[in-house]
Amino acid sequence: MTAEPQTAEPRTGSAPGAPVRQRSLSGRLVLVAAVWSTLALVIAGFILVGLYRAAGERAFDTQLEVHLNTILAEMVSPDASGGATPGVKRPENLPEPRFSLPLSGWYWTVRKAEAADILFASPSLVGDPLTLPPLGEKETLSGFAQGPRNEEVRFLQNRIAIENVPYVIAVAAGTAGFREEVSQFARQVGLTLLAFGAGLVGAIFLQVRVGLRPLSRLRASLSAVRMGDAESIDENLPREIAPLAVELNALILSNREIVERARTHVGNLAHGLKTPLSVIANEARANPGPLADKVDEQASIMSTQIQHHLERARMAAQRRVIGVSCEVEPVLDRLVRAMDRIYQRRGIGLKLSAPAGIRFRGEKQDLEEMSGNLIDNACKWAAAQVTVTVRALHESGSARSMFELVIEDDGPGLSEEERKEAIKRGRRLDETVPGTGLGLSIVADLAALYGGRLDLDRAGTGGLRARLVLPSL
Amino acid sequence: MRILVVEDDSDLNRQLVAALTEAGYAVDTAHDGEEGHFMGDTEPYDAVVLDLGLPTLDGLSVLENWRRDGRTMPVLILTARDRWSDKVAGIDAGADDYVAKPFHMEEVLARVRALVRRAAGHASNEITCGSVRLDLRAGRVTVDGTPIKLTSHEYRLLSYLMHHQGKVISRTELTEHLYEQDFDRDSNTVEVFVGRLRKKIGSDMIETIRGLGYRLGEAVDG
Repeated sequence: MTAEPQTAEPRTGSAPGAPVRQRSLSGRLVLVAAVWSTLALVIAGFILVGLYRAAGERAFDTQLEVHLNTILAEMVSPDASGGATPGVKRPENLPEPRFSLPLSGWYWTVRKAEAADILFASPSLVGDPLTLPPLGEKETLSGFAQGPRNEEVRFLQNRIAIENVPYVIAVAAGTAGFREEVSQFARQVGLTLLAFGAGLVGAIFLQVRVGLRPLSRLRASLSAVRMGDAESIDENLPREIAPLAVELNALILSNREIVERARTHVGNLAHGLKTPLSVIANEARANPGPLADKVDEQASIMSTQIQHHLERARMAAQRRVIGVSCEVEPVLDRLVRAMDRIYQRRGIGLKLSAPAGIRFRGEKQDLEEMSGNLIDNACKWAAAQVTVTVRALHESGSARSMFELVIEDDGPGLSEEERKEAIKRGRRLDETVPGTGLGLSIVADLAALYGGRLDLDRAGTGGLRARLVLPSL
Repeated sequence: MRILVVEDDSDLNRQLVAALTEAGYAVDTAHDGEEGHFMGDTEPYDAVVLDLGLPTLDGLSVLENWRRDGRTMPVLILTARDRWSDKVAGIDAGADDYVAKPFHMEEVLARVRALVRRAAGHASNEITCGSVRLDLRAGRVTVDGTPIKLTSHEYRLLSYLMHHQGKVISRTELTEHLYEQDFDRDSNTVEVFVGRLRKKIGSDMIETIRGLGYRLGEAVDG
């Protein structure tokens, strides 16, 4: 195990020519939530301000009505002598001092209903007219109008009969203060809602991040399987996406089953072809002659071809397998013990030194195939000793962690030329030693498939030193 | 030397039997796992050639059953599945060597020879006893360097005695290791062969131990 950080980038997305990636799910969720909450808050703001204004107007009207009633009370005077307006006098002593201040914004007028002439007017009007919409047939009318200074005023007009004479009393007050109050309220509401909205969007962002976290966990888990760090995806996920993990695991399993089935078929094919080939070749050798020689030669070619294509089929099948790894030490231990049984009686000692904990990032069978061929080959040629050594590598500049498997024998070894030849496909360096397919080329092919390599070198003892470099976890 | 061949392919079986017989072995044959297991369980073989892909009972189980019941004869497995996991499984089950199909008969003969020889404790392909030299690879016998001609039964007898030289071998044991299963066994014929062999290699080489059997060469322990 290495402590090096895993820097290999997963190959997702941004391949050239790939379709533009969809906006992220969390971005989409946050955007939608932000849009609707902003909209909702703006509408809420308008409603709040509208309600506040309506309430303010009602209060204003109530105040105007109080003033109007006061004016009416001050006006009615049974003692007032006849004339044009019997029982009516100019209202005095109004409690609102602003009616007396010139152009204060607070005004009142009294006129006879059927005449346009003003009977009485507040001193604040200082002779200016207070132009209001006509009352018409209505008993009472309130609304907005323009005051003598072109300021906006709110007015209330009532038709009231005194001594059977109908009068129209109008009261008006400037709305500047009221307007100011409403817009101040609107500003406060706006600020409050803005803060509230920002908090809401933040909360949504957090919620989305937290809510979608299982998805990134799923992605990491899947990536680990693809890299061979895990055998299957962690299914401990929320109810909504757990089925996805289960399905993915089923897919991974089915992938492995397909590979296994392919291998079984390959094995069956091998079994089916190899026995008849043995028969043909042996029959030919038992009956020497030109025909026999031809048959033997062709059988040998067929046998090589079968082996070659079966190996290729196996490799093609296993390239698609994902998420497998195996512990190196037990595989080698089992192989070395088996070889020892066979070779110890030939006086060959096998020594294995492998630390526990190194895991090969690939199929156990392929590790068996590679190390089995190399160890068997070493044993066939060794004089007395074969050593098998495993070591973790920390190659600088290499993103993946690797381990090396070195197999040395003290046999005659190979020349540099022979070493080069040996790794080429299907070479048999020595046809006289039975079963010496060497198999080194198969090992080299398999190692290359895993992104590793096979180097042949001269051992210190003069024999062959085979060094296999393979990816580890 | 008596060999059991367990192979379901009748052609290959025939070829193996022919080649092994030619090489001087008494050969019995079985065509499926159960038959093979029974024969290996009840007859004393000097080696077994066992195919792994067998009908009725697979080779691996046959081998495991033998080993579990204490049968220790050397076993050479033949396998078309030449993956290492299969080979290792065979060796773990108790095989002494393996040959992957397709094979050349010479390879099987060499492996069988080596297994029989090593089981008797001989390191080399040449076994000598006094002036007698047995070349296992060539199947040739020389006395004082002069080649002598032996019939197949004489060769088997000498080979068995040479492999187990210094030990007393009973007539029954000789009978069991010299003849195929179907052969009409008569222990008197062993006497006849011993007599002929003595004439060819020298009468003092094979000693008759009364009531026990025969011994080739000097006595050793066990």
